[in-house]
Amino acid sequence: MINNPYSVLGVSPSASNEEIKKAYRELSRKYHPDSYVNNPLASLAEEKFKEVQEAYDQIMKERENGYSGVGGSASDDSTEMSAVYNYLDSRRYREALDALDRVPIRSARWYYYSAVANAGVGNNIMATEHARQAVNMDPSNNEYRSLLNQIEWQSQRYQDTRYNNTGNGGYGGYGRNYGTGNLCCDLWCADSICECMGGDLIPCI
Amino acid sequence: MFGYVNINKPELKMKDFFKYKAYYCGLCKTLKNRYGRFGQMTLSYDMTFLIILLTSLYETETVREQDRCITHPVKKHDTLTNEITGYVADMNIALTYHHLMDDWQDEKSLAGLTGAKALQRAYRRISRKYPRQCREISESLNRLAECERQQENNIDVVSRCFGELMASLFTYREDVWENSLRKIGFYLGKFIYLLDAFDDIEKDTKSGSYNPLKTICNNETFETDCRNMLTMMMAECTREFEKLPCILDIDILRNILYEGVWTKFELINTKRNSEKGT
Repeated sequence: MINNPYSVLGVSPSASNEEIKKAYRELSRKYHPDSYVNNPLASLAEEKFKEVQEAYDQIMKERENGYSGVGGSASDDSTEMSAVYNYLDSRRYREALDALDRVPIRSARWYYYSAVANAGVGNNIMATEHARQAVNMDPSNNEYRSLLNQIEWQSQRYQDTRYNNTGNGGYGGYGRNYGTGNLCCDLWCADSICECMGGDLIPCI
Repeated sequence: MFGYVNINKPELKMKDFFKYKAYYCGLCKTLKNRYGRFGQMTLSYDMTFLIILLTSLYETETVREQDRCITHPVKKHDTLTNEITGYVADMNIALTYHHLMDDWQDEKSLAGLTGAKALQRAYRRISRKYPRQCREISESLNRLAECERQQENNIDVVSRCFGELMASLFTYREDVWENSLRKIGFYLGKFIYLLDAFDDIEKDTKSGSYNPLKTICNNETFETDCRNMLTMMMAECTREFEKLPCILDIDILRNILYEGVWTKFELINTKRNSEKGT
């Protein structure tokens, strides 16, 4: 982890995604190993090149409001369900799905775990259905609701980007409207929306 | 392939439209030069998207040339070609070859056999050059055929076969972008498979052929359900796309991913609703 990936790219943390991409392009061109063949600075440039790449990846990961994986395990999980939890926790989604298959009782928690595992392997239709099922079976559970909100938020983001663009009647609208340009603000908005509906995207706000 | 991954022309700037066309013509020319008239016939819009995406990501040096071609013999027009055009042309031939072989094996289609025979030598060369992609294409198509035999009605399970096929085509290099490219291809592939099933549902119902949407196609909310599923696919696809540092031709790419891919879907709905009305 880089402490301040923004400073590596020489941009402010409030920079838009497009600005970050441009900064990344410039720096990775500047430090590209191909430009330093037979140059004494080659190893230094290579180090810098890797750092720029790492900083870029880190920012993009931080900025995406994706599923953060499974929350805490429930204290009343059966042995079978604890095994599923452990697979999910270490992102071994295929094994989690196999383990889920062997659990006879399909509780709300089963559907929740199944939604996380399915999302992890790319079965996004089943993930949505199972997250919804978990919420239907236990509407008071914030963890379930938060997962469903996170999943649905992606489709919402896509739709908003589409409509904002056509609404503005012009191109380049995507870049402008892909979020407010400010991560914190976006996250805060998304979190507020989720909270309105009873879920929570970022528990600490 | 299917021609579902296309631009939305009215929303695209003129200069971007001409650039898109130049990439398309570049692919057409490369197919013809490498694989002759028959290779040229395999041309599709879906693959043009892949060229523009990879060119934007890798900022590959591109050559602009003026050319005449059989469909536009009088006026010269621009073509854009690079190393990626060659890669995509090869992948297109590999896909077509497998497709034709499947037609021969499933339906004993003689046209399929003839076509596959015509491409056999080319395919052998391609599979030596790109063993990973060719192996993955073949494996995904086998899994897909198995799903169809089993009449699989879980949409995620069947569409993932095609998703995995596309994922392997999208990973031009095994590098830092591999993971994102794989996901973009995967969800776009699932999108294409679903849209193709949606397009074919009436035909398949009539002929009694397999279609993964059969179990839900009589629901009142069929169209909305499909729209929601397709949106989910594009949401995941663009979520990965937006992580890539694509700057070159970004307006064309976003036009395709956010608007163009819906052209066919809307067209099918308009047609179906007007038929229902009369």
